This record gives sequence, structure tokens and C-alpha cells, in this order.
Amino acid sequence: MAEVQYDSASRIFSGGSEVRAVDALDLRVADGEFLVLVGPSGSGKSTALRMLAGLEGCDEGRILIGGDDVTAVHPKDRDIAMVFQNYALYPHMTVGENMGFALRLRRTGKDEIQRRVADAAAMLDLTTYLDRKPKALSGGQRQRVAMGRAIVREPSVFLMDEPLSNLDAKLRVETRANIAALQRRLATTTVYVTHDQVEAMTMGDRVAVLRDGILQQCAAPRELYDRPVNSFVAGFIGSPAMNLVAATVTDGIEIAGTTLRIPASALGSVTQAGTPVLAGIRPEALRLVGDADEGIDMRVVLCEELGSDTYVIGDVGADGASHRITARVPAGVRAEPGRTLRLGLSESAAVHLFDPDTGDRLN
Amino acid sequence: MKTRRSALSTTALVAVGVLLAVWTLLPVYHMLVVSLSPSDELFAGRLWPEDPTLTAFSTVLTEGDFTVERFWLQLWNSLFVAVVSAVGVLAIATLAAFAVARLRPRWAGLLTTSALATYVIPLSFLAIPLYKAMANYNLLGSQWALILATITFGSPYALWVLSQYARASIPSELDEAATIDGAGAWRIYFQIFLPLMRPPMVVVGIYAFLLAWNEYLMAFLFLSEEDSMTLPVTLGNFLNSDQIQWNVMMATALFYALPPVLIYYAFQRNVSSGSTAGGVKN
Repeated sequence: MAEVQYDSASRIFSGGSEVRAVDALDLRVADGEFLVLVGPSGSGKSTALRMLAGLEGCDEGRILIGGDDVTAVHPKDRDIAMVFQNYALYPHMTVGENMGFALRLRRTGKDEIQRRVADAAAMLDLTTYLDRKPKALSGGQRQRVAMGRAIVREPSVFLMDEPLSNLDAKLRVETRANIAALQRRLATTTVYVTHDQVEAMTMGDRVAVLRDGILQQCAAPRELYDRPVNSFVAGFIGSPAMNLVAATVTDGIEIAGTTLRIPASALGSVTQAGTPVLAGIRPEALRLVGDADEGIDMRVVLCEELGSDTYVIGDVGADGASHRITARVPAGVRAEPGRTLRLGLSESAAVHLFDPDTGDRLN
Repeated sequence: MKTRRSALSTTALVAVGVLLAVWTLLPVYHMLVVSLSPSDELFAGRLWPEDPTLTAFSTVLTEGDFTVERFWLQLWNSLFVAVVSAVGVLAIATLAAFAVARLRPRWAGLLTTSALATYVIPLSFLAIPLYKAMANYNLLGSQWALILATITFGSPYALWVLSQYARASIPSELDEAATIDGAGAWRIYFQIFLPLMRPPMVVVGIYAFLLAWNEYLMAFLFLSEEDSMTLPVTLGNFLNSDQIQWNVMMATALFYALPPVLIYYAFQRNVSSGSTAGGVKN
């Protein structure tokens, strides 16, 4: 158990031009917390994790585990365990040997190793596979062995680098829940890297969104969803993604020539009428309204039936200056391509306003 | 159309295969025929000797002629030189490949390229300088001279093969996982790297073994004593006498050809590359 802290930590790759893969990262992970690092490819999330593991150097700033500065400490002395995306199981060792390898290197007693491997195997439903080699296991089983190898160590921090991305969709959802439950049970501080925002939202106590090596926002999933600090986080978190359209502040907000009225309080600091903004409206904040009601007209391009509800994708605004938006509407709504639907805001809907230049939140 | 084409190409392949087999086996067959012929029938020009005899073979095995009076010792010499050379090449090349492909220093590319560049100069060009070097080290007449020369010439190719395999077939995450598990470079080398490098090591080991086993020029230059020379030199010496005993020579040559054949068969299966399957998901 330990608290983890990135203190203005940077990782700079030189070679041609200098690239700051992780740029002055300040992040504190509480003891026992499940923190998810999320971001698109190249956002520096994996690099940040590898810096914590000690596999990647820290060019500026410090990294602390349990209050100790480990910036210059060798990976093996950081008391961490890591689960890799490709599992990195030792192919020539059995499942049991894979799980016990670290303990053997630590000269742990034979009985103790056996006990801990057996415990972890029982926890992960691997008892019957202990004598098998990794190649005789399914993808899900290999993933569990990789987890088991981390668990037997009883480390103070778990590091997980996209541990589910090689599983098929169904198994991924199942394993996602298992890992989250296991982490709560073991109460071991965990830093988890993923590019999948659904994984991030469902698993993390808090989620840190990275972009180009810079931390954008670190907050609980709910807050991230409800109050993204900028248009990047707004567009990244949530599925389908938030609609971000150019708009002008009037007595509400004007999108493609149509004004949607929102409470003055929702406009926040934007009081000047005529201010151009980037308006963010989640697909679930839109609803179908009648032709007489206030709303924006959308020409349907595509309709995705999901069973529970329907995503309607279409264009608003005049040709040449139109925006592509997505609306989430009840199942059974008929929306053939080419048809025009009128969309209004649902009652409790939040409209997020961002600065069109900087992307910062305005309201 | 398609089946006819594939039948045609199969026929062509078989034809090439047969041609190659004949090309390869004909000299061996000739060796066998000569070795089975009695001394007075050596050049009778028959496809099979009229009166085949094993005398030549028993002469070799019992060291019953001055040309083969040290046969067993020289066979042992050949084996010793080949095995030690193979072990030496493997030791140097696996360590170098580990350094180049796993520790990945900046000069890795330069090292592999410059190692391969040594092949620009043919071995025979270097015979005299090497002879001089071995004389300086006082190694002339010692089998270590031959072993060192073989290791020198075998290692660059071995390094190249092993580092290619290590880079392509052993994911770097294995090293990282082992590092986090608490393994240092030596332990990773012995417990992770070497076990996974078995398939290319078998190939490279056989290569180095044969390189030493087949070496004539260096062996001829470095080893002049009957008791230290290897079989190729013995075979060469047959030609020094006035009355060349072709049948004994061919019998010796057949014995000499046997170990490589046995080694190929013994390790045939190990040359498959399935050993890293399952460790990581690709």
C-alpha cells in the first residue's frame, strides 16, 4: 500500500527534434486508489506508467512512491508489479513458475512461494492450469496469469498497461469488472492505462486524461463527464462523443441560424451577446421535438439501431457550413437517411461552452 | 487451367529436386564405390565393384596403414576442435546478440555491421597474417590456434543470425517484466534469453561445428604434428604419397562425413521456431 506522486515529472525524447512525451506531470494517487490514465495514442499515458515502473527515465521532476523519491531507484526496488498489454509471460515456464518467478528471485521460501501462488491461482480460477505452459492457454487465461504474477508479489502498487486490449469484446467487459472488483478487494494502489474511455469511466476511482503529454483533467468519472475542463476532454469522454459545434451567444446559443434557449445561469461567464463559442451538447441531451417547437433541423445521414436506443447521425446548418452531430433517441424512432428531424434540448440538459480558440471551458 | 499450371510447376520442382539430389549424391556414391573396391580394381570404371570388400574400412578402423595410423586420435581432434569452436562461437555470439538486441546500446548497429564487414576479406587472404599472429602467440601446432581462428570467423555470422532472431522473436516486454520481477542483466540472459534462443542457437551451433569440422587451410597451416592434426589434414596427406590408396582414403572420407549427417538428423526437430509461442499476444 502506498501513495504515488508525480511531481512535475517529464520525459523528453531527443532525436531530431525534442519531444516531451510526458510534460511536467503533476498527479497524486491516493493509497488504495484506482487511477486510470486515459488518452489517445501518443498522449504519453504509457510513458507516464513506464516512468513510474522505472522502465523509462524521468528527465525532469520527481516520482514518489509511499513518500520516497524513487526517481533514481531501479525497477526491482520500487515494490511495484506490472501487467503488460501483451502479458509478457515467460513462454518456457509453466503458469506456476511464471507466477513464482519474482518470489524466487527474492529468495522467498519454497513453501511461502507455493502458498502465495496457490492463493493467487485460486483467486483467479487458475488452479488447474498451474502446470501448463502459456501457449496452452486461452487469451483470457493468459491475461489472468499476468494478473496473478502481479498479485503474488503483494506489491505496494499495481501498474497495468492496457491489460484488456487483446481480449475479445465480451471477455473484455467481463474481465474489466473482475479486475475492478479484485482491486477493491486487495485495496492496492493501482495505476491503469487505457485508450478506451469506457474502461476508464467504469473502472477508475479517478480518471486522468492526457493529451500530448500534458495532463488535461483528473477527476472522478462523473465530474469528468459532467464538467469537462476543455473541449478535448469533452470530446474524448463519453460514447458516442459529445457534439462540438460552432455557435454564437445570443439570449441562448445560436447554432446554424437557430437559437436554442438555455438559462442565463448556464452561460456562466459568457455574458457578451455575439461571442463566438464552441458549444458542446451530448447526444443524450438532444431529443426529438415537433415541427412547431424550438429546435434545430438535422438532415439524417445514418441511423444506428442499438436495440436499447438509437443513434441518429446527421448534418445541421446550410450546405458548406454544416456540422455533423449525433443524437441519441429512443429505440424505434424511424429516421431514414435524407429525412429531416427537429432536435431540441432535453429538460435537464447541460450545454457546455468552450472558447473556440483555446478550447477552455467558459461556463 | 489452374490445376494444370500447378501440376506443371510441381513437375518442374520435382525435376529440379531430382537433379539436385543426383548432383549431391553422385560424389558420395563415387566415394562409396571406390572405398568398396579392392586395390586392383579402383579404376575399373564399373558402376558397382565386381567383388566388393570392406577391407578399406577395417584398415581405417584398425589403423592398419601408415596413412591412418592415428585415425582415432585425429577423429577425436576434429571433434574436440569442432565442439569447442561451436561452444566458443555460441558463448560469444549469444552474449553479443543479447547486448545488441536486448540492452540496445547506441552503437549496436555499428557493431553488427562492422562484424559482418569482416567477411569482405576472404579467409585465405588472412591465412598468412593469421599464421604470423599465431606464431607470435606461440600457438602454432596447438589446436587452440585453429579453435581461435574458427571462433573469429564464425562469430560475426552467428551474431547476425542471433541478434536478428532476438530482435524479431523475443518481445522486449519479457525483459521488462523480468526486470520488474527483480532480474538483473545476467539473470535475464541465463533464465529468459538463452532458453528462448534455443532454435537459432541449434542452427548457429551446427554452423560453427561444421565450420571447424570442414576447415582445411587453417588446420593444414597450424597443425603439422600427426598427433594434433584434424581429419581434413589427414585426408589431404593421402595425396602426398607416391602410391595413393584411394580406397582407404575414401573410406576415411566416409567416416569423416558421418558426424555432420548424424548431427543434422539429431537436431532436425530443434530447428523449428515454436519456442516463444504463447508468451505474448501478437
